Amino acid sequence: MRFEILDQVEGIEVIAAGTSIRDLAYLEKTYGAGRWRKLKGRAHVRLPNGNIRWVELHWYEAHGIGRKDIKIKRYLE
Amino acid sequence: MSEHKRHFAICVDNSDYEASLILRKIYEIIPDERGAGDDLLRIVDESGEDYLYHKSHFIVVEFPAEVEHALRSAQSATP
Repeated sequence: MRFEILDQVEGIEVIAAGTSIRDLAYLEKTYGAGRWRKLKGRAHVRLPNGNIRWVELHWYEAHGIGRKDIKIKRYLE
Repeated sequence: MSEHKRHFAICVDNSDYEASLILRKIYEIIPDERGAGDDLLRIVDESGEDYLYHKSHFIVVEFPAEVEHALRSAQSATP
């Protein structure tokens, strides 16, 4: 990813799991089968232009595979 | 540049987003002025949701109006 997460992600919540993840089939094809969950949380990130933003992040996670596709959903300030 | 000519981008780098972006696929851009100020594009990705991605993942493309209309119609028809 092009940005750097500067602190611990806080307020982590599961927003989808298993078959309720819309792109589960593509996720499993790309990274392998697992108990995939889609999560969200908040963190400060440093963008490639040097700006630091407080953002909502979404990502996928599975045991033994880790966090994948960490994406910025929106700015929070 | 008129607004209707900045609605799509082609993914040219899906590193770190291999489940969310497909190389060489055309994605719709959602206008986002704050993101644009940080060199980010708001893209509707494979999850069906819009996220802010760095512009270096994409080449923004301009299509003739009839092509853009056809692309928008095709995307809105996608389940």
